[in-house]
Amino acid sequence: MRNSVANEIKKIASKDSSLFVIAGDAGLGVWDDFNKSSQFINTGVNEQLDIGFGAGMSLMGHKVIYYNIAPFVIMRPYEFVRNDICYQELPMILIGTGSGITYAPAGVTHYVVEDITLASTMPNLDIFSPADPVEAVECFKYAYQSKKPSYIRIAKNGEKIIHTSKINITKPIFIHKSNSQNILILHGSIVDEISKILTIVDLNIISVPMLTSNFDWDSFLADYNKVFTLEEHFINGGFGTMLRDKCDKKIYKFGLKNEYIHEIGDRDYLREYYKIDGISIGRKIVETING
Amino acid sequence: MKEKATRIRKNILHIANLALSPHVGSALSCTDILTTLYFKILRLEDYENRDIFILSKAHSAMALYATLHEKGLLSKEDMEGYYQNGGTLPAHTDRFTNPYIEISAGSLGHGLPIATGMAHAIQLKKSKQNVYVLMGDGESQEGSVWEAAMLAPKLELNNLIVMIDRNNLQGYGRADELLSYEPIDKKFEAFNWEVLRIDGHNYQSIEEALKFKTTKPKMIICDTTKGKGVDFMEDELIWHYYVVDDDVKSKALIQIEEALNEK
Repeated sequence: MRNSVANEIKKIASKDSSLFVIAGDAGLGVWDDFNKSSQFINTGVNEQLDIGFGAGMSLMGHKVIYYNIAPFVIMRPYEFVRNDICYQELPMILIGTGSGITYAPAGVTHYVVEDITLASTMPNLDIFSPADPVEAVECFKYAYQSKKPSYIRIAKNGEKIIHTSKINITKPIFIHKSNSQNILILHGSIVDEISKILTIVDLNIISVPMLTSNFDWDSFLADYNKVFTLEEHFINGGFGTMLRDKCDKKIYKFGLKNEYIHEIGDRDYLREYYKIDGISIGRKIVETING
Repeated sequence: MKEKATRIRKNILHIANLALSPHVGSALSCTDILTTLYFKILRLEDYENRDIFILSKAHSAMALYATLHEKGLLSKEDMEGYYQNGGTLPAHTDRFTNPYIEISAGSLGHGLPIATGMAHAIQLKKSKQNVYVLMGDGESQEGSVWEAAMLAPKLELNNLIVMIDRNNLQGYGRADELLSYEPIDKKFEAFNWEVLRIDGHNYQSIEEALKFKTTKPKMIICDTTKGKGVDFMEDELIWHYYVVDDDVKSKALIQIEEALNEK
């Protein structure tokens, strides 16, 4: 997803001289062919400066993108995002890589399982969590045209492409259709667990790339029996929580327990350890349906 | 200049009294700096290509509001709506309240990073606009200030001019007793800024410093007195907080009028 979005950014930058990328000492292999451009700056390790500097350029009419590992985009400079970008209603695009536990082996400082919670406290910040490179590029294109600030959380690079036709990221997108009366709603890179889920239980599965879109969930979910959400994020405060607030339907939430992760391991190991892998989720869904 | 600054000080006391709001000491300490900026330096006639002024020490907002009013850029009605229920202007600046209030500020350490971005954007479009920032001295304790201070010289932002209102009083003590930033001039010189140090109440010195030509971003340390112009407020921490009731206002106005009449 990372390289797909970067390529789209570079393509647009070649036509729009107001586009400007700030990298916070991140982006090896992503910006190598762009980092000498006058539309790019690597400021070093200074997250507060990156947001403030971006706000300043945005106030002068630039379309600014800030790119870094997700905790250094939304967590460390949170107050700057709140005051300088969101309160001032600047259409800056924040791109955070390593969403969820993508970079879990690096430890607690380098993953984010609470970023949606933080982002959702800023009322006018649109939040995107694409599941594949196609969704990621469409999310970026939406954010580029938007007059609102945007936060796009992406995993890394090399994710499988799910969508082969045109998609609308402001609406839920079916990834698997079923005759089941039950539905699983997910976002982000956890989508790669669905094949394992489907070996245990058959149900409809949708991806929600834009978590803050104005969508009539009550109407959409009215005819479903059981509604589940799954995310690589704290279970309280993520999209499942947002959905509960948006609609009247009972939502069964799956995600990481709201506890700090001290277990050492990579993303797939930790998904199994914390029971958000496809097999564990499939079994929990069956239990809930039968319960 | 003295007459203008006097009217500005009177209006600061006026709206501070109407609002019973804090921060009068901070507003008075930077009045002479703002007067000089707005009446000798800032080019504001062509709005799209105007010079930018950022009040990073936004708790001194009363001084900015009174100065904008003196300049004809803020109506009396809006100025008097400061800090009022359903009013027009908050205690710290909000960019949505007036076209000449450039940023929403108040949490210290934000103004310089934003100004650095604005200056870089101006540099990219090869415009002749300048960006001016007024910071507090306690504000220099914020790490984000030094993040921006490192970047500005690297980008050769000679269109960035920063002033520090160095009154040596901050929220709960004297800066040099709490966490001294001195030698602040040498610190910015080490970061490769052009540094000048002046009397922040001498209009000529302020103007000369602002006009001093350099190829580097410029830092002007303005030695000032908190509460300047009212002897019982001068250099007193409590006037960071105390409100201007009717009695305080009338005594203060007498002082300011007397100062104007001094040779």
